[in-house]
Amino acid sequence: MKVEMNNIRKSFGNNDVLKDVSFSIQGGEICALLGENGAGKSTLMNILGGVVSADAGSIFIDGVEVDIHNPIHAMEAGIAFIHQELNLINDLPIYENMFLGREIKTKRGSLDLKKMYNKTTEIFKRMNIDLDPETMVGELDASYKQIVEICRAMMMNATLIIMDEPTTSLTDSEIERVFNMMRTLKEHDVGIIFISHKLNEVMEICNRYIVLRDGVLVAEGDVRNVSKRDLANYMVGFDVRTESLRRNRETSQTSQEILRVEDLSHPYYFRDIHLAINAGEIVGITGLLGDGRSELFQAIFGAEKYQSGRVYLNSKQIVIKNTYEAIENGIAYLPRNRKENAIIKDMNIMENASITTWPMFTKRGIINSRKHEETFEEHRKALRIKMGSITDSITSLSGGNQQKVVLAKWLAANPKVLILDNPTQGVDVGAKEDIYDIILQLAEEGIAIVVLSSEAQEIIRVCDRALVMYHGAIQGELNNEQMNEQTIMHLATGGGLGEEKGVHQI
Amino acid sequence: MKPILKPTIEQKTEMGKTTFLGWFKNKWSKDPLFSILIALMIMVVLQTITLGFDYGSFGEWLQAWTNNWINILRNNAGVGIVALGMTLVIMTGGIDLSVGSTLVITGAFAMYLLDTGAQGILGSVGITGIPAILLTIVLVLGFGYLLGALIGVSITKGMVPPFIATLGAMMIFRSVTQHFTQGYNTSVPAEFLQISSFKIGSFMIMPIVYWIIIAIILYYVSKRTTFGRQIIAVGSNEKAAKLSGVKVEKVKLRVYALMGLLVSVAAIIQVSRIGSMDFSNAGRGMEMDAIAAAVVGGTNMLGGRGFILGTVYGMLIIAVMNNLLNLFGVPPFLREAFKGVIVIVAVLLQRKEKTA
Repeated sequence: MKVEMNNIRKSFGNNDVLKDVSFSIQGGEICALLGENGAGKSTLMNILGGVVSADAGSIFIDGVEVDIHNPIHAMEAGIAFIHQELNLINDLPIYENMFLGREIKTKRGSLDLKKMYNKTTEIFKRMNIDLDPETMVGELDASYKQIVEICRAMMMNATLIIMDEPTTSLTDSEIERVFNMMRTLKEHDVGIIFISHKLNEVMEICNRYIVLRDGVLVAEGDVRNVSKRDLANYMVGFDVRTESLRRNRETSQTSQEILRVEDLSHPYYFRDIHLAINAGEIVGITGLLGDGRSELFQAIFGAEKYQSGRVYLNSKQIVIKNTYEAIENGIAYLPRNRKENAIIKDMNIMENASITTWPMFTKRGIINSRKHEETFEEHRKALRIKMGSITDSITSLSGGNQQKVVLAKWLAANPKVLILDNPTQGVDVGAKEDIYDIILQLAEEGIAIVVLSSEAQEIIRVCDRALVMYHGAIQGELNNEQMNEQTIMHLATGGGLGEEKGVHQI
Repeated sequence: MKPILKPTIEQKTEMGKTTFLGWFKNKWSKDPLFSILIALMIMVVLQTITLGFDYGSFGEWLQAWTNNWINILRNNAGVGIVALGMTLVIMTGGIDLSVGSTLVITGAFAMYLLDTGAQGILGSVGITGIPAILLTIVLVLGFGYLLGALIGVSITKGMVPPFIATLGAMMIFRSVTQHFTQGYNTSVPAEFLQISSFKIGSFMIMPIVYWIIIAIILYYVSKRTTFGRQIIAVGSNEKAAKLSGVKVEKVKLRVYALMGLLVSVAAIIQVSRIGSMDFSNAGRGMEMDAIAAAVVGGTNMLGGRGFILGTVYGMLIIAVMNNLLNLFGVPPFLREAFKGVIVIVAVLLQRKEKTA
């Protein structure tokens, strides 16, 4: 099997999204499709998947030109597109999901559940998947859901599978499971196009790469011949910093303590948490999914309850009952999963950037729009937010710029403690650096900053010290010199600091 | 997912400046209220033409036209006010089915307070005349607010879904009212009737004035105040709103309380217009009329999007259509069907905006 896309062009209005892109992929290859947000990756794949039509160019499968105008054409041609938002129904069992929209029926017109069950078992066997087809999809974790979607594609004889950032919301062990699935597909001679921002994963699983930048294919080749740094440079078109950004600051240890937490416990999420953060310090909190770090800081922020323990701000004990009180006390929390937790899609950019400060910049309940606009303008410049008018919809912005707007809203609240939960999730390389710059600058200004992140690299590059959590407890603290990916992973998987390092390398 | 087609700046100005058609198209696709306003205008023109056939001179025609409009507006002022509150409730992602029953329970309360006979509560403690009327207004508004707040508490603290909480309240309020008002004959003091029947010039338009004032206040509240904007935030993405420091529970509670308050305003208008209230039938179907007006006016039933001005248009569209059907002599039983069609067509028309 060989799929070729030749001289593909596409523009939306005056915006040329793809300018003459050609590439090909063969069965048994895993090809990474890289590029910043807005580089044209999604459009290219939407053309191949039949979601949109190209303005010019042709697609060949095994040397025969094909016309793909809708997703059904694509499926018939053997191309399956696994979107980030999975198309599964949680309240149906796996085997019914496998036949969604293509149900097998008996002669009398009712569902032939037995046949559907058997076919599912068959495909699972072929793919080496150990899953009970009768399990409800809602009970599966995110990786198994991916796997069910892939199996569904395989059942329809897919020869090319497009995976759009499949690992974004997965834990490491889940990622490994999906990777194993991908290896199996490779053995079955299926081609995979893997869209991802995570270069570590690309290095691990892919054998080829192509890089798009501003609608042009700027690099392609064998993954063995490049480094992560090369790939990052291709993506942004200039030299990317990968060095540590940590400043050599002795002062942070002696400066004033802002936030202190003692004995904080929750029935499920976290227990016996002790920590203290000083003004101007950047503390990283990391661990694997399920470590309880988000819940811990949401509890400090008043969005989650805690069972016992004490929280001190500027050495004064505080009891925060809701998020509003947290903000009044100078605690800000930028949540993870921007789309679910931070973006209000029915409101415009300005409103999304000012929602936290409405009650503060107000006269008898009437919002002081001018003050908000002035404040936002200031932050827009500092954060280098690329946007049209402030009254445009928030969804008109790219992921990186959306995140910057969310950050701007917290800066407007003038926090003393800024908690950033996965601040660079779904953000392109350029915006990521902008966000790091702002974090460092805020620390200079004396704000106590907490960065929660599952990316060890992020912690190492940005933070002064790191706390690693494991199943709701702090497993260890690492200072400036001790921080490295191996040690962090060792602690995050439950290892102790003093032990010999039986490092779990991924 | 379809890609979002964004017109470039050049196209925008081109559309905006060159032709009327261009301006119209741009407005049609950008301003969600524009299509509603056009629909309303078409109906008003239709209605005006229909009326024009029956009268000889312009003066007579104008008088008939004005009277007809005053009638339409006055008859719909109560529901119109309730629909404004309903819009805010729906914008938070909720619904209030209890409005019709809240109308009768607050109406009954008003009448018990005012009654000039032996059962009159205020009369029996020696408060009569203007003080009694003023006190009644305050107490009835407070009662409506309290009932709304109770519903709000059951929704926020009790985590009862709005549909269920207000369905329950709908049954309770009417049933209780009917039980306690069996064989009750009212005599509301004449001064109280002035609330609705006071004439400005030769026009009896007080209910319309109340409607307009409330619409202006709520328009301003929804656009410019923290409370108004937080309603949208809560309805659009409750989790994000909570994590942005919005007191979600407080916002919801206040919205239902405000709803109760507005219903009690409608109750006062109704009691003061007629001097009595039919407790078993008054306000039946009011919730559906209010929801229909909000939906025709562009409010999204899933929350997050709604327009006070749109609801006023929506109410007028439904009212003018009723009037037209009346003028055309359409049999009464068929009129509900037209209302149903209007609601569905309105949502069909608005669907394009959601995808754009």
